[in-house]
Amino acid sequence: MEGMRELRPLTAAQLARAEERLRNPRAGSRIEAAQRFGVDLTLLMEQLRLSPDERARGMYETAQAAEQARGAARSKRA
Amino acid sequence: MSVVTAVHALVDAGVDFAIIGGWAAIMHGAESATNNLDVCYSRHPENLKRLAGALAPFHPRLRDLSGNLPFVWDAATLRNGTNFKLWTDLGGIDLLAEVSGLGGFEEVKASSILVHVFDRDVWTLDLPSLIKAKRAAGREKDLRALPELEGLLEARESE
Repeated sequence: MEGMRELRPLTAAQLARAEERLRNPRAGSRIEAAQRFGVDLTLLMEQLRLSPDERARGMYETAQAAEQARGAARSKRA
Repeated sequence: MSVVTAVHALVDAGVDFAIIGGWAAIMHGAESATNNLDVCYSRHPENLKRLAGALAPFHPRLRDLSGNLPFVWDAATLRNGTNFKLWTDLGGIDLLAEVSGLGGFEEVKASSILVHVFDRDVWTLDLPSLIKAKRAAGREKDLRALPELEGLLEARESE
């Protein structure tokens, strides 16, 4: 795996820079456009604090919980 | 969608593939949920055998095929098609031989980055290429994802 590009957790410096940009989007920036579109930038900040594995596991657990809730609702209706 | 089991099955069988689509976006920090695992796979004959074997225990069938029509899941079926929208015991898995805006598996792998996820190392489309692919696909759901991905990219850019 040597020399391959890897997606790693952000370093403290990278995270600080990303959070600053997300907290104070520059006028005309893509971050400001995302905010205007309705993207919750605070949630992106939370995600960037995690490792890629933690992001995926978090989404997986959320999806599992949603599926269980759907299953429970179906059982109740039946 | 049991994405963990699906990723383990593909990696452990030695399948040459890269994660694209919604799960790639999640690994890059997107908040949007997804129901399917989208992968781009190598068309090498040995890889088709490995891919067929890896997913066989989960009973793949085509989502857009009527339940009454016969469907055989094997390497020959994979050889005779390119893109497969599958329903499996694990949930939806979309297999793509080519990705809009990028090309075939070799181009996709060259635009991918190794991610350690679910206790495995998995090739995953990098963020600029994911944006390029979604823009090229041009479907409404792809275009809706772009502002978030563009924002993430800008937040992560070095300067």
